[in-house]
Amino acid sequence: MVLELLSNAVLIIGLFFVFLAMLGLARLPDVYNRLHTTTKIGTLGAFSVMLSILLKVGFSPMGVKAITVALFILITSPVAAHMISRAAHRHGVGLCKESVIDEYGKACESACSINERE
Amino acid sequence: MNLLEYSLIFMVISFIPCLYRVIKGPTIPDRVVALDAMTTVIVVMLGIYSFVKESVFFMDVALVLAVISFVGTVTIAKYLDEGVVF
Amino acid sequence: MKRYIAYSAILGLVWCFVHGTVNVNNFILGVLIAPFIIRPFKTLFPFDQDFSFANAIKKIPAQIKFLYVLIVEIIKANIMVAKIVLQPKIDIKPGIIAVPIDSKTDLGITAIANTITLTPGTLTIDVSDDRSILYVHAIDATDPEGVAQSIKDDLEKYTMEAFE
Repeated sequence: MVLELLSNAVLIIGLFFVFLAMLGLARLPDVYNRLHTTTKIGTLGAFSVMLSILLKVGFSPMGVKAITVALFILITSPVAAHMISRAAHRHGVGLCKESVIDEYGKACESACSINERE
Repeated sequence: MNLLEYSLIFMVISFIPCLYRVIKGPTIPDRVVALDAMTTVIVVMLGIYSFVKESVFFMDVALVLAVISFVGTVTIAKYLDEGVVF
Repeated sequence: MKRYIAYSAILGLVWCFVHGTVNVNNFILGVLIAPFIIRPFKTLFPFDQDFSFANAIKKIPAQIKFLYVLIVEIIKANIMVAKIVLQPKIDIKPGIIAVPIDSKTDLGITAIANTITLTPGTLTIDVSDDRSILYVHAIDATDPEGVAQSIKDDLEKYTMEAFE
């Protein structure tokens, strides 16, 4: 009984976090800020839903596979976010107009100018 | 209607911002990020559906979809970055 | 050879989890298949370095402590970003800042970069060519030194203990 209540609570928290991630995807201003929401909140939302399925069914094949999916998402989503943000910056997608500092752009420009001089 | 079926409807609602971003997104990376987020939603839906239908095979589909999403995102990122995939 | 055994054990466990039932038969089958997976991807692993089981086991308490820190940080990160998304008017000052790091090995740099991505308000973008600076996108970049200092104090100490 306690376990069922706990798993329902975790399920509702997870679904709410996934919904917030998608809402942030629509609301925030540029690619990098959108990546913040989808990697952090989306990952924890998916992890919570899979954890609640594990709590509902126990260590049956379904529960073990659910926790495998959750761990896989937890490990790979930062890597995908890093790859896509680096590609976006090199592809020429600028930061939004609220940004205050861009040290990576400066470093890239100085590296390019050194290469041109040589 | 129990909690899990309501939660499937809720996931379909959270699909709408993703579709908006895929259609409108001003740049290519925006669309890639939105597609990646869409895959997360589908994986969550498949997990819940697997529990509703009491069939373990939908969880296999979820695992394969998570793998394909990761590989696809990395491939598109590498193509945007360097112009070649391998 | 020792590395083959260690990675085979890990891949055997992964095979058990993917198959869905964790028992001895599946584990042995996974261990027997694993060398055929490791051999083609040998260049990805540091096979030229020394490896000892004693060191690997000695690091496990530090890794469990790191996992605890990571879970606390992930929950803090989610509450912070959720607050930002739920604001009626979005008011953020993002920016990319350079963070110097002390990690030297590939595994250490990967661990610190992934940890930064999962922790509050920061997202790793790139590592510089001499592997001493990480470029981090922060959602609140009004205080670059503060962000760099908090990464160094809160996270890098634990990843250095756990993975180097």
